[in-house]
Amino acid sequence: MTIGAFILLAFVLGIVAYDWVSLRGKNRRAVLLEMAAFLVGALFIAFPDRATALAHAVGIGRGVDFLMYPIVIWLVRESLMTRRRRLEYDEKLTSVVRALALVQAKAGDVEVTPAANAQGSSLAPRQSAGPSAS
Amino acid sequence: MDTLGSLRDAAREHCVTVFVVDDGSEPAIDLATLPPSNEGFQVVLARHVTNLGQGAALETARQLAVMRGFDAYVTMDSDGQHSATDALALAQEILLGADVVFGNRFLGDSNVPRARALLLFGARWFERMLTGLPLADAHNGLRAFSARAVQHIVIQQNRMAHATEIKLRVAGAPSLEIVERPVSVRYSRSTLAKGQSAFGAARIIRDLALQYLFGEAA
Repeated sequence: MTIGAFILLAFVLGIVAYDWVSLRGKNRRAVLLEMAAFLVGALFIAFPDRATALAHAVGIGRGVDFLMYPIVIWLVRESLMTRRRRLEYDEKLTSVVRALALVQAKAGDVEVTPAANAQGSSLAPRQSAGPSAS
Repeated sequence: MDTLGSLRDAAREHCVTVFVVDDGSEPAIDLATLPPSNEGFQVVLARHVTNLGQGAALETARQLAVMRGFDAYVTMDSDGQHSATDALALAQEILLGADVVFGNRFLGDSNVPRARALLLFGARWFERMLTGLPLADAHNGLRAFSARAVQHIVIQQNRMAHATEIKLRVAGAPSLEIVERPVSVRYSRSTLAKGQSAFGAARIIRDLALQYLFGEAA
């Protein structure tokens, strides 16, 4: 095993160990999935020749590309979908916050002046100004 | 809240309702500290419980106005940059028949710093390319709309990209009469600190791109 492979394997083991320990007392099923994925990666790191042979069998030049291509495709998709979901959550949050603001909107007290009392005037607006936030 | 006080003074001949939207930043606006209403002037305060951005605040104000009804709807910043006189002048243009009035700070009595002017030059070019509207200013918060136009100006951009979004919606709406009018925008150290930067411009482009990619299908 090369020094590079050894460092990568130590890195993978370190991450898995950290995730396992930091989720103590919580649901660790996701860490099990992570371990399974990393196990496949570790095999590719530990046996690069086998990985390259596997890649050749399906017409890909290097073992690392055999892993890299699907990972990049998945990450690009995941990134876009995460953006979309975040936008959707933002829209939902905006709707809720706005609904609350509209329901709770309050008009200022009317200044009591003799004229206003005498006329009992309506405050129905003809012009509106909507200044932005504070 | 000097803006409200001057609006109250300037609006003696008009019936004005001001929708103040507290965007959730601290300290919260206390309604009791705002100028009291009288027969021609009223302040309505709405508060976002969490900060969503200026675009979101403007959309809340727009919905409040639509619920109440109006002849002219004006948007303006509340930090003292915009003058009450200009706001009423823009409203007057609407009453005279325009559908949308955009303020142009470069034709008014404004003290635009050189760096800001350069940024706005880029923004103007960008918005012209995007909307096709031949306007001489960009991202000027002082604008007015008729009741007909306001129906088209649904703001979905919560942050600063709303200014470009508004122009996109105006450009996409059928047969609106659009005019540009000189207004004064007075910059101070605090308004410049809050205003747009090159970083903000990049965020605006990102937000517009995200809306294009993931927003409601046209």
